Amino acid sequence: MKQVVVHPEKCVGCMQCTVACAVAHSSSRTLYAALLEEPLPRSRIHIGSTRFGRGFPNRCRHCDPAPCMRACLPGAIYRVSEYGTVLVDPDKCINCASCAMACPFGVIRYHEDAWAQPGKTVAVKCDNCLSRQLRGLIPACVEACKSGALGFEEMDRAQRRKTDAVSDTVWSTSGVVLPAAGSIGFELLHAQKKAMVEMAQTSRA
Amino acid sequence: MHHVIIGNGIAGVQAAEAIRHLDPESEISMIAAETFPPYCRPMISLLLEGAVTPDRLPIRPGDFYESRSIRAFPGVRVTAIDSGRARLSLDTGETLAYDRLLIATGADPRAIRAEGKTLAGIFSMRTVSDVQKMLDMLSSCRSALVLGGGLVGFKAAYSLLKRGMAVTMLIASGYPLSMQLDPVSGGIIRDTLVRHGLHVETGVEVTAFEGSGRVQRAILNDGRTLACDLVVVGKGVRPATGFLAGSGIDVDLGIRVDEHLQTTISGVFAAGDVAELTDVVRKRPWINAIWPEAAAQGWIAGLNMAGRSASYQGSLGRNVIRMFDLDIMTAGIVQPQEAAGTTQVLTHLDGNGPIYRRFVLQEDRLVGFTLINRIEKGGMLVSLIQRGLPLDPEEKRLLLL
Ligand SMILES: Cc1cc2nc3c(=O)[nH]c(=O)nc-3n(C[C@H](O)[C@H](O)[C@H](O)COP(=O)(O)OP(=O)(O)OC[C@H]3O[C@@H](n4cnc5c(N)ncnc54)[C@H](O)[C@@H]3O)c2cc1C
Ligand code: SF4
Ligand code: SF4
Repeated sequence: MKQVVVHPEKCVGCMQCTVACAVAHSSSRTLYAALLEEPLPRSRIHIGSTRFGRGFPNRCRHCDPAPCMRACLPGAIYRVSEYGTVLVDPDKCINCASCAMACPFGVIRYHEDAWAQPGKTVAVKCDNCLSRQLRGLIPACVEACKSGALGFEEMDRAQRRKTDAVSDTVWSTSGVVLPAAGSIGFELLHAQKKAMVEMAQTSRA
Repeated sequence: MHHVIIGNGIAGVQAAEAIRHLDPESEISMIAAETFPPYCRPMISLLLEGAVTPDRLPIRPGDFYESRSIRAFPGVRVTAIDSGRARLSLDTGETLAYDRLLIATGADPRAIRAEGKTLAGIFSMRTVSDVQKMLDMLSSCRSALVLGGGLVGFKAAYSLLKRGMAVTMLIASGYPLSMQLDPVSGGIIRDTLVRHGLHVETGVEVTAFEGSGRVQRAILNDGRTLACDLVVVGKGVRPATGFLAGSGIDVDLGIRVDEHLQTTISGVFAAGDVAELTDVVRKRPWINAIWPEAAAQGWIAGLNMAGRSASYQGSLGRNVIRMFDLDIMTAGIVQPQEAAGTTQVLTHLDGNGPIYRRFVLQEDRLVGFTLINRIEKGGMLVSLIQRGLPLDPEEKRLLLL
């Protein structure tokens, strides 16, 4: 199963992925028409900055198990196992923001969306561009990223590469603080730990 | 192996699913005092407000029990547990034997002391049937009185305001949600509610309710009389442990459990609002009666019941509330006097939004926060608290941005 893999060290902060994402989630799916849409489409990938002011493309990790899914009160968040994707059902969402309090990556936003009932504010986050994938395309952010910060890769390959990178960091750099094992919420946080490793690498490099 | 689960709230449901996840074979029975299918309890205030209809409340498909081969006992109450003989007594007069038991009975509303409290029109707000009874009366009600400024009282007041009723809230502290909020954020919330028509009375109590059959007024301890035809009692909850007397199961604040959510009796587990765990920041026994804790604890209890050892390393109080134009999120310790050791409080207030951020640190570790508006990254802060990593000055500065 292929997933979007983030290589934050390559991000130049050009925001091309955010534009591509917003367009991909508009009704018209073209840039110029999207600009005239109501509600104005918004990106589901967000460029954060690390402590040294570098760009960090931040998007839903589709964690398994997903903390947002377990915290969602009406059960609006669900998983499409075949694609390893966690989705929000806009019709079930009650806009309570419990998922904001659960997502360790802060990637969920609340606003109107072309795919929700008009006028209804709902939780919106990355959907792995499922509708594009069903048409044989790769996620829009990956297609737009020219610096190689976003890749669409087989997960086990990406995992292996990350593991190597982590062990390199651990053995070559003194003072790197990796998250403690056995933290709260047990396996809920496995995905979070993985991302922390990612972040520890970028922010303390 | 026969697994028996008492309660079909989120903790019970997650436990049943965890057991089935690992073990498609063994027998599962679920006993629940309520007859409604598993539903989203927090949404009952939306039902009161009129934002949703009852068909939106169920959290699982209609065939939940059948599809998972669960034997359901709806509308049945457990009256006693004989842990020596591994048997339950039911209010139907029957008994039921178990191999593994989960107590996920949630909480009951705290009662009040006032004369006339059994008059019609006086409610607590815990179950869907509480709200359905309120709705039946609503058309004949004009002014409501809400006792208590905790989460449930607050949500009741908000829903009734939205229904266009005149609402008075009586609270002991100066602002609603004083257990969750510091005075600055509490004040912002009180002012917002007042601006939208809520009437707040502080430092008074009801001594009696009067009316002929149905409540018409409340008598306060300062001698005043308040007209009201609907009363919601929101004085907090306490774990539903009444039926445990003589069971041998140790109850302190709630049912005491170890990190596997097992009670002091082997094979008997507890999870959710009824269970007492160690609070991760207070480092002492505590009950954090919130949905995500109940869900996660139910899941972990279920894994352990099905034989896979999984541990839970502490609970963390947290809440998010959206009302009018405010988003409010809090977690952990908000009142620093609770804090031990070297405590530091960082705040940032931008009055126009308003945007307010307040962080409580102990020995350079984040132990609590309050956010008003811009709450999207709250989950990151929650995980910072849960991981308990020390922060350096630069990281602390970043918190406030
Ligand atoms: C109005 C309201 C709003 C809330 N809003 C929020 C919110 O926004 N966010 C949040 O995190 N939390 C919120 N909560 C709290 C949240 O609903 C609870 O933390 C959660 O539902 C607890 O789940 P539980 O499974 O432990 O217990 P419960 O959901 O209470 O389930 C317990 C079940 O056990 C049954 N039972 C009890 N005793 C017996 C017995 N003797 N025999 C058989 N069955 C029995 C009951 O009928 C019930 O079905 C709210 C609660 C209320 C009332
Ligand atoms: S917790 Fe956050 S990152 Fe993980 S699946 Fe949910 S939204 Fe995505
Ligand atoms: S905001 Fe929507 S998706 Fe998020 S927890 Fe609430 S209902 Fe679920």
